[in-house]
Amino acid sequence: MKRITDLSSFNAAHEAGLKKLLPATGRIAVGMGTCGVGNGAEGLYHALSDGIHSRGLSFHLAQVGCYGPCSEEPLVNVWLPGKPLVILHKVQAQDVAALLDDLSAGRIPEELALCKVEEWDHITGQVKYGSGLPDLPKWNEIPFFTGQSKIVLRNCGLINPGDIEEYLAVGGYQALYKVLIDANPEMVIEQIKAAKLRGRGGAGYQTGLKWDMLRKAQADQKYLICNADEGDPGAYMNRNEIEGDPHGLIEGMVIGGYVTGATEGILYVRAEYPLAVHRLTLAIQEAEERGLLGENILGRGFSFKLSLVEGAGAFVCGEETALIRSLEGRAGRPTPRPPYPAESGLWCRPTNINNVETWYNVAPIVVKGPAWFTETGSPKSPGTKVFSLVGKVQRTGLVEMPLGTPLKTFVYDIGGGAPATKTVKSVQTGGPSGGCIPKEMFDTPVDYETLAQLGSIMGSGGMVVMDEDNCMVDVARYFIEFTHSESCGKCVPCRVGLDQMLAILNRFTTGKATEADLGTMDELSRMIRDMSLCGLGQTAPNPVLTTLRHFRQEFEDHLRAHRCRAGVCENLALSPCENSCPLHMNIPRFLELLKADRLEDAFLSVVMDNPLPASTGRVCQHPCDNRCRRSGIDEAVNMRDVHRYIADSIYNGGRYDEMIERVLEHRFPPTGKKVAVVGAGPTGLTCAFYLAMMGHSVTVYENNADAGGMLRYALPEYRLPKSVLDDELKLIYKVGVEFVFNAVVGETVTLNDLSTMYDGVFLSIGTWKETWVYLPGTELKGVLHALPFLEALSKDEHVPLGKKVVVIGGGNAAIDSARTALRMGADVTVIYRRERKDMPAIPEETEAAEDEGVKYAFLATPHRIVSGEDGGVLAIECAKTTLGEFDSSGRRKPVPTGEIQRFECDTVILAVGETVDLDFLKASGLKLKEKEKMLDVSPFTLETSRSNFYAGGDLISGASNVSNAMGYGKKAARNMDQKLMGEFRWPRLWPEFEYSMVPPAHVSESGRHHIHELPADERAKGFMEAVTGLTPVEAMEETCRCLRCDIREGNH
Amino acid sequence: MMVADSVELKREDREFIDSLVSKHRGRPGVLLTILESIQENHPQRYLPEDFLEYLAARMGIPTAQVYSVVTFYSLFNLKPQGRHTVCICRGTACHTRGSLRLLEGVRLQLGLRQEEEEGSADKMTGTTADGNFTVRTVACFGQCALAPVAEVDHQILGHVSERALEREVEHLRKGRR
Amino acid sequence: MDSKITIRIDGELVKTDRGASIFEAAKANGKHIPGLCNMKGLKPVGACRLCMVEVAGVNRLLPSCTTPAQEGMSVTIRSARLDAYRKQALELLLSERNHVCAVCVSNGHCELQSLATALGVTNVRYGYRYPKLGVDLSHPRYVLDHNRCILCTRCVRVCAEVEGAHVWDIAGRGIHSMLTCEMNRTWGASRNCTSCGKCVQVCPTGALAEKGFAVEEMIKRTASVERLTAVRGGGR
Repeated sequence: MKRITDLSSFNAAHEAGLKKLLPATGRIAVGMGTCGVGNGAEGLYHALSDGIHSRGLSFHLAQVGCYGPCSEEPLVNVWLPGKPLVILHKVQAQDVAALLDDLSAGRIPEELALCKVEEWDHITGQVKYGSGLPDLPKWNEIPFFTGQSKIVLRNCGLINPGDIEEYLAVGGYQALYKVLIDANPEMVIEQIKAAKLRGRGGAGYQTGLKWDMLRKAQADQKYLICNADEGDPGAYMNRNEIEGDPHGLIEGMVIGGYVTGATEGILYVRAEYPLAVHRLTLAIQEAEERGLLGENILGRGFSFKLSLVEGAGAFVCGEETALIRSLEGRAGRPTPRPPYPAESGLWCRPTNINNVETWYNVAPIVVKGPAWFTETGSPKSPGTKVFSLVGKVQRTGLVEMPLGTPLKTFVYDIGGGAPATKTVKSVQTGGPSGGCIPKEMFDTPVDYETLAQLGSIMGSGGMVVMDEDNCMVDVARYFIEFTHSESCGKCVPCRVGLDQMLAILNRFTTGKATEADLGTMDELSRMIRDMSLCGLGQTAPNPVLTTLRHFRQEFEDHLRAHRCRAGVCENLALSPCENSCPLHMNIPRFLELLKADRLEDAFLSVVMDNPLPASTGRVCQHPCDNRCRRSGIDEAVNMRDVHRYIADSIYNGGRYDEMIERVLEHRFPPTGKKVAVVGAGPTGLTCAFYLAMMGHSVTVYENNADAGGMLRYALPEYRLPKSVLDDELKLIYKVGVEFVFNAVVGETVTLNDLSTMYDGVFLSIGTWKETWVYLPGTELKGVLHALPFLEALSKDEHVPLGKKVVVIGGGNAAIDSARTALRMGADVTVIYRRERKDMPAIPEETEAAEDEGVKYAFLATPHRIVSGEDGGVLAIECAKTTLGEFDSSGRRKPVPTGEIQRFECDTVILAVGETVDLDFLKASGLKLKEKEKMLDVSPFTLETSRSNFYAGGDLISGASNVSNAMGYGKKAARNMDQKLMGEFRWPRLWPEFEYSMVPPAHVSESGRHHIHELPADERAKGFMEAVTGLTPVEAMEETCRCLRCDIREGNH
Repeated sequence: MMVADSVELKREDREFIDSLVSKHRGRPGVLLTILESIQENHPQRYLPEDFLEYLAARMGIPTAQVYSVVTFYSLFNLKPQGRHTVCICRGTACHTRGSLRLLEGVRLQLGLRQEEEEGSADKMTGTTADGNFTVRTVACFGQCALAPVAEVDHQILGHVSERALEREVEHLRKGRR
Repeated sequence: MDSKITIRIDGELVKTDRGASIFEAAKANGKHIPGLCNMKGLKPVGACRLCMVEVAGVNRLLPSCTTPAQEGMSVTIRSARLDAYRKQALELLLSERNHVCAVCVSNGHCELQSLATALGVTNVRYGYRYPKLGVDLSHPRYVLDHNRCILCTRCVRVCAEVEGAHVWDIAGRGIHSMLTCEMNRTWGASRNCTSCGKCVQVCPTGALAEKGFAVEEMIKRTASVERLTAVRGGGR
């Protein structure tokens, strides 16, 4: 290959490269970065190569680096002369034949297309591809790329990293040429200073100042080092940059060498990046052959040598003195500064270290000038930064944004937020030196200083998004575990301090922590931060300090309640399903008992954990399904319907009375204590059951005529037949609970009365007040509220319902009202202000409603109800909306489009939500929470501000669901008993069962047995139960699918 | 651990080390580079002690320093590695997607017990008694978009599930690869 | 240029040689800064972090053994925060390995023990780790007891910088760091050890000791090594 020594040979190589980028035959380029290869790009490349060859096509086939959207890999970009460059995504080997067909016919396969590029600014040069394809969005019009500014990544994914001519084609090495021709090194340093380029490795020190110091140093030999030891787990920007554009790095370093007087450069690349090492080695060779590196560069008399050294697996070598020691053949332990490397570094010679990404910014600044550079980014930190956006977002990949962009842009706009059923909880930035930022603070701009204020750092640019399935205590433990194993061991705070921190965090995740541990962790963190020798130790406590600050509740849950809500810390739960169940039912146990054909034992197990299994078996929203490990094989075990089957079998099988007697055998002897429960809904019933089982004398006050609460007065008959509920309640009665019906607290009896008559009081009056909504026309005849509507029907009262009904809302009450109205002969439309996937109602219900004929209108906000001549309802007008910006809850806000939609109707049912009776709360004299105006109760004991008064259920949580409510009742009973009796008697309540503790030996794939719904048209005719339970065979088969996650080493 | 004073290295091994020393003489990072080459070249991918003693003598570096370097960096193995290597990534993105369970699964599958392992529960390197498999961890592969990641015999597997990894290891065990 | 500079230590103005570290400046003026890893004549490494001080105008603590004193500096060597941190560091050391004074040859003559007493350490708030570590008795004259080692690296430095044998180094990393004799040999099998005993004399605890001494009997002669290094020119 000819050496480049002057402008004409430069241009010749430039032209040769352009011919490869824009060949007359057209070009197909496959993304072959490590992500691409990991997604099958190699096979794809070979398939294309074979296809082109066998068909005798003349497309130029090339390999390129990664363009950025890693979750769209494999990426292929295709260019036909005159047309734009088109980026195709998720291309598989089987798409190749059709793809080649299209291309050889001059067509672009638009079904595989992600976006198009009409012309591209490589900063050092421009490439015009072509125009057209109006249906395809431009690259920066798709959400992932909106707002991105590709300076560092200017060439990645577009040029072949293995071909220097393609680099030259886009203006590569022109900056070097300019610098050498100008022969004014001080000016270049001034430019870098004026551009305020800050080190991109994390410390953010002014690069220009560092270069200046090196230039001024006097020595026989000076060194430049590129720190490519990207050790932050979760960060892979440098890897992509090197794999996609190795010459960009080389050029930056040669320029750096020239202006600082360094004649040797070293690239320290971690060994875990073999492809990057390979590409860089080839690029160095090529550059040397062409005279752009090595002796007498470009014939200008300047010599600069580059060598590559592979790191050997030590994160601490990212610290500059450790890196230097590593290059000197010693262990990578940091050494004291002063002396600083610029004075005395590698082998005591002046040395400057810069991160990979810093070097990539050099050529652009030289070519376009500092003023251009400072137009992007923030005043203190101009330019862009490449971030690796990974974790629980829909779109992951490398993102290059101006510094100062808020976090929410990354998480929601670019990343697309979490998938439908999940919510983003926090973002971890800066790797092990950084911290966790909760979603409430996502407005924070991402910049060196702003993140530091929150206790985190921007670091090298890693951004790991976490959702509700991530335990923040576990995250803190994970990072300390990492820094602990990477600690060099030289200084005491880091070496021993992190070991002790890890021991404490391990105690938290296994439920063995003490109160003192919280304080010790905080104190130790500060000491390690302030006393450690190097950046690793100084920043290692950041993840702990930030999670303690922003997620303290999770630590307290682990410590005091021994619960890991995210379900990660396995030692704190029996099994993932048990952990997610609001009643913490021992699910594996009842499954195993039923599997062993021990129906009565299974029922005893179920009913001791959950006194209303037939109800929950029908209406629970089954959080257990989301956690079931079986879904990693085929589908989650249908635990809800198995426990329904168990309950139904006993109720209908004539064994119920016998079983009640068995339950009563476990009742404690009378304690002589008297407890009042206010509210006979699921919460109150559960609390009453357990307190009665523990021997207390329980009286339930209920303002209705019968027990059940929402179970009776809101849930329609077709979901939960009253006969089933009555069967269930028999147990509660038999256990000895007394009821006082038609009692209104505040009238029939006051809280003070209860306080004198009883040793303990539990308030569970639920949320029966309709949320007030501003909507003109709600006073009209024909406008009903959901709960009173459902309640009236449950009492067999007459409800005036029209023929055309509109239901406003998206929760369970709305769907219950809709399906009920349908069964009463009406034509029903449900109007919800967000999208279907945001509806709080259980998906099975919304789908069943649709099957029955209920219609839906989404993204519609009620505007006003139109009155007819008779003062009744004529129609309802709704504003059509579209989704706008993300709000702090992580959902998009509906924004009016200006259009109004009109629905003709004669009845409107409002089901927009239920709230707590504020008047009752105020009159109660109990302490309320400042902002939320809810009862203030201890999160661990559920006691209110008034001694011996407890509260639970919807009353303290807001409108929720049956199982959550029951969970409160169970928790309250446990705590109330402990206070009343002065000891923790709860563990003694549970019967012992002997059953197999052997996990299934062999697991083969099988489907899950779903519930049986009556055909839609049949069931919509009346109020018969819409869903029948599992058959005995089906229930048995489900039990065999359980993987017995409760079995651990040591308990079998 | 006692090592015999007069260790005879095979001639080809001596020549190999000599060639590396002269090739890389005077370069920065020479010790790391030479150690990496010796390890890569060894059929069991480790650094035998006699090689290290010889290297120290040839380069004029105190053996204590060589030992300090070899034991400091995670990449270097002082024990022979198994015929197959399964490496689980313990990076953040992989951890949040359950890489710990992958590690536990493969350890159980291969019957690796605590005595055969070095390291803590989360980061370890262990070789099965029959010398067929080495299970190790890496702090981060830099493949975060493919989380969770495992590398089996230098082939990166992305979005790996416990079942997939189990199958992969079974294939190797039965020699069907 | 004046060969002496003036700095303030705990409010008091003192003079010191230009080029001296803050630690040396304090020592020369009779002010004691705690430390375990530094020793006159050996290159300072800043490992134990007990010598950290506060310097006015600097927002982080600085290690006085490796920070040069500068004209006009105002240093605080005793403060509530510094003393609290030093105590924590000592407690961490005491929890790290098995420092059982009652049966140690250096009991009563141990720098770790004296420092802990001086700083008022009465209990260790962290869990004791009780690592299983060995004792190397293979050398004819000396003993290495890893249970007492605090990884200060004085032995490593004196052997490499003063004696020139470089028998010792640190193997492994992090909490698993261990003193190694050559290629993990027993001391008795060492090829380069000259048996000069300097490492034993500079060791601040009973980790390295002479054979033939019972509990409480090992009194180190650190000054003998300091004199040697002074003759050599400081070991820098």
